[in-house]
Amino acid sequence: MVRRQRPLKGIENMKTNIIEAANLTKTYKKTVKAVDHISFSVEEGELFGFIGPNGAGKTTTIKMLTTLASATEGKASVAGYDVAKNPGAVREKIGVVPQELTADDELKGVENLLLSAKLHHVPNDKARGKAKELLELLELEGAAQRQVKTFSGGMRRRLQLAMGLIHDPKILFLDEPTLGLDIQTRQNMWTYIRDLNRKKGITVFMTTHYLEEADSLCDRIAIIDNGVIKLSGSPSELKAKRGGTILTLQLTDGADISDVLGEIQDVTEVEKEAETYKIKLTKTENALPAIVENITKKGLKISDITLAKPTLDQVFLQITGDNMRDGAANGDSFGQRILIERLK
Amino acid sequence: MFADTFALTARSLKKWIRNPAAIMPGLFMAVFWLALFGSSFNPVNLVPTQIGGTALSPVLVEQIKSAMTSVFGGAANYITFITAGVISFIVIINMAYGGIDIVLDRQLGYLNSLLSAPISRASIFFSGVMQNFVKAMFIALLTFIVAILLPNGLQFGAGFGVLNLLGILVAFGLLTFGFGCLFTALAFSVKNVDSLVAIVNFLAFPLIFMSSAIFPLGTFPSWLKGIAEVNPITKASETTRLLIVNGNLTAAQFSTLTGNMLYLAITAVLLAIIGYLIARKALKAE
Repeated sequence: MVRRQRPLKGIENMKTNIIEAANLTKTYKKTVKAVDHISFSVEEGELFGFIGPNGAGKTTTIKMLTTLASATEGKASVAGYDVAKNPGAVREKIGVVPQELTADDELKGVENLLLSAKLHHVPNDKARGKAKELLELLELEGAAQRQVKTFSGGMRRRLQLAMGLIHDPKILFLDEPTLGLDIQTRQNMWTYIRDLNRKKGITVFMTTHYLEEADSLCDRIAIIDNGVIKLSGSPSELKAKRGGTILTLQLTDGADISDVLGEIQDVTEVEKEAETYKIKLTKTENALPAIVENITKKGLKISDITLAKPTLDQVFLQITGDNMRDGAANGDSFGQRILIERLK
Repeated sequence: MFADTFALTARSLKKWIRNPAAIMPGLFMAVFWLALFGSSFNPVNLVPTQIGGTALSPVLVEQIKSAMTSVFGGAANYITFITAGVISFIVIINMAYGGIDIVLDRQLGYLNSLLSAPISRASIFFSGVMQNFVKAMFIALLTFIVAILLPNGLQFGAGFGVLNLLGILVAFGLLTFGFGCLFTALAFSVKNVDSLVAIVNFLAFPLIFMSSAIFPLGTFPSWLKGIAEVNPITKASETTRLLIVNGNLTAAQFSTLTGNMLYLAITAVLLAIIGYLIARKALKAE
């Protein structure tokens, strides 16, 4: 059976789509469907995130969009060019920042940047200017003349980002840009990525398995699992639609008022366990006063109350039924070990 | 394409130069082969001066010695003979194991970052060949110098000059480039170092042993001789010996030299084409 997915809602009459994928499919060894008929589009200037557990098909999708893997079925266009028919033109327009840290240990920071510039045919004088600019932007000026083997994990990630930007790409592909970084360094990376997108107008397509990263950065996300897009939209949309605020109540008396609570407007679900009610709300501002009023009317007393904002984790768990596993997807174990070593 | 090839080759060589220890294994191999293996054997020492207590006539001994020497291409000693073979061995082994860097580049994701850049696949392949070519030729040159410096080492024929040296460089350049293309293509085709080492050992050692690199063709059984005669390593080794032992070539020797060079050039081009085709397939989108 061929499963088809609707294009993402609300895309049709907006700005130009800089990335478009239609029924994109990748089958490895004839049986393993890494990506299974996915369709989506990314607008120019958007910061779009693919989130999903390891092995969900995120990296495979990036590989197809960046001409590293060919689609078994379906097609994709990037910057107006078909990735299968015109890979050369696509490569001119994109910057790719892989999961792996590919800068050469023995070369200096700036040498890595200039090599990257050469491979993207940036004229020498322009490349020097651009390298200086990027090193400043990513706060690497001090390390420019040092060999990369002396860099910390965060510096390596930043250098990798700079290498992907040296030729002024229209679209930046980031595969797990903060993988393995501590939370402080990760938040710095977010600032850089956000600035690149907002201030320089670069379209960003990124994958991540850190949900708070997707929440904090992305204009729009797609949740992918087992090669299929399960859900997509802006993080707040998804949270409102699938997550909902959760109110936890503890009442002093044992009388069950689940039915009463369940009838209140904007309450979508009520669960009772011992004396504790878990109530799912859509509009807190309407539902909360109504709930309190109903409880008071019944002459009951609240002994404990907590309100939890919806998180992407909630949405994600609901969709995939799976917690995010940590660590990098794909790749062989040797490459993984080196990556971990370099991030130290 | 040439600019990309050059940029990528320069990258590898920069890494190589910053890690001078990297030439040590090659240099050690050269010194051991020449100083230990080469010195331990000299064909003229096999010629007896007496049999069963009866002394042989000195004239006869000299005649046998000279016949023996001519089997070894007229080389004054075994080091002079084997230098060409050791250099062949060194360049083949360096090109073959040089592929390990390429496999590592794949495993560490570096290759992918090249493949997603707007550069031709040919430049990725040929930069892989050239980086190892430069290293192999450099070590070959060091080997040659070691052979000259060794006590009772390499002995040139009268009239050996710059042209002879140039000829030797061209012969080994062609050999190195041709097999370099083949081995580099194999390195692009495998996914891990173990597979590469297995393939390389399977190919490189028979290639060297089925040639006149270490022993003269005259001592080979006919089946092996047939194979060895068409082996480019034999052609490069023989050409080098011809140029070392004879300073000024006779017309006949010159025509042998031209034939060998032509043969080496044609095989180099063929191996480059085969190598490129293999590599192109290996570098295709997965």
